[in-house]
Amino acid sequence: MKLFFKTALVLGLICSISGAILVLVNNITSDRIELNEFNKLNLALNKVSFNNNISDKVEVTDNHSIDSYYNLMDFKTNSLKGYILSLKGNGYGGEISLLASYDTKGNIMAVELISNSETPGVGKKAENKGYMDKYIGKGSDIAIPLNKNQLSDPDKNLVSGATITFTSISKMLNEGSFFVKNLGEKNEY
Amino acid sequence: MNTDIKNFIKGIVKENPTFVIMLGMCPTLAVTTQFINALSMGIGVIFVLLLSNIIISILKNLIPNSIRIPCYIVIISAFVTILEMLFHAFLPEVYNSLGVYLPLIVVNCIILGRAEAFASKNNVINSIFDALGMGLGFTLSLSFISLIREAIGNGTITLFPIGRWSGVIKIPILNNSPIRVLALPAGALLFMGYMKALFDYLSSKRKKI
Repeated sequence: MKLFFKTALVLGLICSISGAILVLVNNITSDRIELNEFNKLNLALNKVSFNNNISDKVEVTDNHSIDSYYNLMDFKTNSLKGYILSLKGNGYGGEISLLASYDTKGNIMAVELISNSETPGVGKKAENKGYMDKYIGKGSDIAIPLNKNQLSDPDKNLVSGATITFTSISKMLNEGSFFVKNLGEKNEY
Repeated sequence: MNTDIKNFIKGIVKENPTFVIMLGMCPTLAVTTQFINALSMGIGVIFVLLLSNIIISILKNLIPNSIRIPCYIVIISAFVTILEMLFHAFLPEVYNSLGVYLPLIVVNCIILGRAEAFASKNNVINSIFDALGMGLGFTLSLSFISLIREAIGNGTITLFPIGRWSGVIKIPILNNSPIRVLALPAGALLFMGYMKALFDYLSSKRKKI
């Protein structure tokens, strides 16, 4: 009985002390982490908006790939130029989130990767500069490549070994394009 | 030779965790695609290994034998979570590039292995030297594998970005036509196999002498 209590007490003590230290470190780092995430999102919004005006965020609840969107307004005329979508999907290592801007017809203007848990050196190549170039200008007249065979040889090499990441990003962007086309139709009526 | 120095040096060559004891294979094969990832992983492991070895060595007489493994895991996972939060807050680039392998340090066999085999049976000073030697041995092995894999498999060597410099050194010829299999998981296994063979050959030679 004595051993039983000693065992429970030691394990309880170790867990409590570990928990207390983690609370302390969390208090020190949480503000900084929040600030990092905020700056990262703002930087990505600036990149995909090309310095145009951005409206307030509109939450989307009925779409599994799209979290929210912003209206993109021309910085000179303030007319609707397109949309910025916050997209989410599942990659090889977990959730991938993107910010993508589309013109009103559903063509992709720019894509920025916000977060991912892909394998370093394999799926994480999606973070590399130029990875998203293959999607730019596609969505309406030219279809978004959903399959590796629809890519040029250099692009094929770039995604080889990380097809699941590529397919996931393509599907998200394609759904985004459909969503924007529907938004455009709604706005016309 | 002094015991402390012996404890430190054994982790680098004689009992190298990667090439001789073959512990921590999962992160070894996964993060060695880029030099910077391997180095960051190594530093993370040294941090966790050092602190967990110190704490486990201090508490070794207090922890009942029947619950020693859960206690070690709680201690190790607390340090890994602290490391994760610190990286997320102060080194976000490293945090992003290590991805899922950072929390997986919890189940890195080297850390639990050294806690069970060394720290729980030795004093604090010996445990510190053991952790530093093993951690350094792991970091050096990872860095070496990643240098070869990245240079031949991708034609680049990725270091920390400094100012406007992206931190990527491009190797002429190899950059245009890399031997891509080395950058892929199969190449990692192939390379590890050759390295294991080399270390076995060297140790058998040493035994004959």
